[in-house]
Amino acid sequence: MSKQINVALIGNPNTGKTSVFNALTGLNQKVGNYPGITVEKKEGICKLPRGVKAHIIDLPGTYSLNASSLDENVVIELLLNKNDKDFPDIAVVVTDVENLKRNLLLFTQIKDLEIPTLLVINMADRMRYKGISLDIDYLEAQLQTKIALISTRKKEGIDNLKHLIANYKEVSVTPCIKASDIDKEYFENLQKAFPNQLLYKLWLVITQDVNFGKTDRKEIDAVANFKTKSKADLKRLQQKETIKRYQFINNVLREGQTIDVSQAKDLRSKLDRILTHKVWGYAIFFVILLTIFQAIYDWSSVPMDFIDSTFAFLSEWTKNQLPQGAFTNLLAEGIIPGLGGIVIFIPQIAFLFLFISVLEESGYMSRVVFLMDRVMRRFGLSGKSVVPLISGTACAIPAIMATRNIESWKERLITILVTPFTTCSARLPVYLIIISLIIPEGRFLGLGYQALTLMLLYFLGFATAVLSAYILNKVLKIKSKTFFVVEMPNYKLPMFKNVALTVLEKTKSFVFGAGKIILAISIILWFLASYGPGDDFNNAESIIKTEYAAQQLSEDEISQHISSYKLEHSYIGITGHAIEPIIRPLGYDWKIGIAIVSSFAAREVFVGTLATIYSVGNDDEATIKNRMAAEVNPILGGPLFNFASGISLLLFYAFAMQCMSTLAVVKRETNSWKWPTLQLFIMSGFAYVVALIAYQFLK
Amino acid sequence: MNTIIQNILVFAAIVGALAFLLRKFIWKKSKSKKACGGDDGCGCH
Ligand SMILES: Nc1nc2c(ncn2[C@@H]2O[C@H](COP(=O)(O)OP(=O)(O)OP(=O)(O)O)[C@@H](O)[C@H]2O)c(=O)[nH]1
Ligand SMILES: [Mg+2]
Repeated sequence: MSKQINVALIGNPNTGKTSVFNALTGLNQKVGNYPGITVEKKEGICKLPRGVKAHIIDLPGTYSLNASSLDENVVIELLLNKNDKDFPDIAVVVTDVENLKRNLLLFTQIKDLEIPTLLVINMADRMRYKGISLDIDYLEAQLQTKIALISTRKKEGIDNLKHLIANYKEVSVTPCIKASDIDKEYFENLQKAFPNQLLYKLWLVITQDVNFGKTDRKEIDAVANFKTKSKADLKRLQQKETIKRYQFINNVLREGQTIDVSQAKDLRSKLDRILTHKVWGYAIFFVILLTIFQAIYDWSSVPMDFIDSTFAFLSEWTKNQLPQGAFTNLLAEGIIPGLGGIVIFIPQIAFLFLFISVLEESGYMSRVVFLMDRVMRRFGLSGKSVVPLISGTACAIPAIMATRNIESWKERLITILVTPFTTCSARLPVYLIIISLIIPEGRFLGLGYQALTLMLLYFLGFATAVLSAYILNKVLKIKSKTFFVVEMPNYKLPMFKNVALTVLEKTKSFVFGAGKIILAISIILWFLASYGPGDDFNNAESIIKTEYAAQQLSEDEISQHISSYKLEHSYIGITGHAIEPIIRPLGYDWKIGIAIVSSFAAREVFVGTLATIYSVGNDDEATIKNRMAAEVNPILGGPLFNFASGISLLLFYAFAMQCMSTLAVVKRETNSWKWPTLQLFIMSGFAYVVALIAYQFLK
Repeated sequence: MNTIIQNILVFAAIVGALAFLLRKFIWKKSKSKKACGGDDGCGCH
């Protein structure tokens, strides 16, 4: 078998590397129209003509080989380490035809490492709109490479690219710039000291403080200690290098690229003027949010009710059709209601992700980042923290991973710590069900109160994140040195396929991720609720019958009393009563307490947990919502989910750190237990206090 | 007879559920190495 060709996809952020990767490998990695989507390397296999296979690696976007953040390190480490098993036989530099000049900087750097380098010029479909034309032959000659002009969107040029990869041996490895052109004397000395090494590689090692995990440490140290120049001088040389490179690129492009401005149909600058306007920008963003939240409500209420009653029916049907016994009960009272508590939220989750991914794909999300950057500066954070905070609306875990492109460690840490305040999709189910129970359905100026409340909760999460960042900023004494240039991608019509894939993926991971947990939890909860220790539980029937013997109760009422007596004395009832004193001041009963505890596995299971607890021993066919509405506060009487306890619950879920997976990721990213532990206790403690105050005020 | 089968099934379900939860939250080992980028929600839930 012939060896696989190792191919590395490298390029500036948002040039379409992942799109090329997907086109080559047929995989479906996440693509998004803003920089920093890919933060770790991803791998796939591409079949080339004549049975050759290529092993393709998709890398995070980098502006240059002078790394400043962790995700950029990934690229440099790979390129400098010949022994890495993924070391590329060929580097494919992906560029965006509209930003060719800036994108070529990285290309010249990689070429100077004398790795065979192909140039992919992507987004060829945009050339028409911008009036760009390219002289490919001229460019190939000047840059001494092969060029593939492609459009992954229109699926053009992919075969040519495959052909070029297959013939990678024909690509020249002549560098673009001779290192000695930068500073003759210095580089000659350097070469003399290390005659067997590539000059440009030496230079990179000297000027980076990357952590070369796998490379030979001794060798590196020797090079890095080669100090005949001060730090400031080295910086000056680096600048000189950049200038040289741009001179080279400008010369090449002067002949090779023509831009006929009169042909450019430029909507972009007009749109940008409005969408990032100091006043209108925010107003438009606000309106878009309102529309989204209203739509989530309006569009999903029908499917939601349908799912709810379907599960109620299913549960009832199971009970009546299957032979009586413990397992039938487990199905009807444990598993089905538990799963129902997840499935019911599929419509909302799908709509939420539909909107998020349309906003991302269209390029609008980057404008939002720009708008938020202005706000964040007041609080001493740079816009780079905004991207994680916004992507935290899906899930805090990828958001925390996205902080890897923040250079300043302290700023990164702060962002990691506050990101879990953003309203993630796991909170959505809890919010939706509680809101539907306690907020009236009326409308104000066409906007539902319920939708407004939901939006308020999202704002609350974001505001808390920003505020605590501000406080942490003061406490941790940060000198914020990260500066931020927002990359403004072009507006694009979202591609149906990309949007559909994101929605499908996210919904699937919501259902299956949370589904497995709720399945397991509902089985255990059912068991704990259906069995109990001691005489109280086992003799429930006779105890109740004697207690109510004097009263004339119907059969139904008696069995109702028996099952609730049994539940109170089951294992779960006993556990619940044990924790009840802690949560009673917040307005919750022991059942909600159990649901809160199980939420630490994943917040989404809140509704499913309650559904399971409420259905044990309950024979009537009722939907989750109706059962929750019918619950009575055991002490005060009246509905358990009233305005005071509902608000208190909403606030608790808004602030509490209830996600073990997030804690695990924080541990991994900060490399210490200290931060996740602090997060867990401070956030949850804060949540408790706020919920307590809210309930005591409102009750 | 019927009750025995039902009880066995219940028992199996509980053991399975417990094993799953323990593996997921307490005993989780050797999975962190897997690539985990922006999209798959990796370990989310
Ligand atoms: N018009 C047009 N848009 C494209 C083309 N290829 C990719 N895009 C869009 O460009 C955007 C960025 O694509 P990605 O593949 O995520 O870019 P990336 O380089 O992997 O980005 P990072 O991982 O963030 O560095 C997405 O919105 C794509 O839909 C193309 O050929 N034409
Ligand atoms: Mg990418």
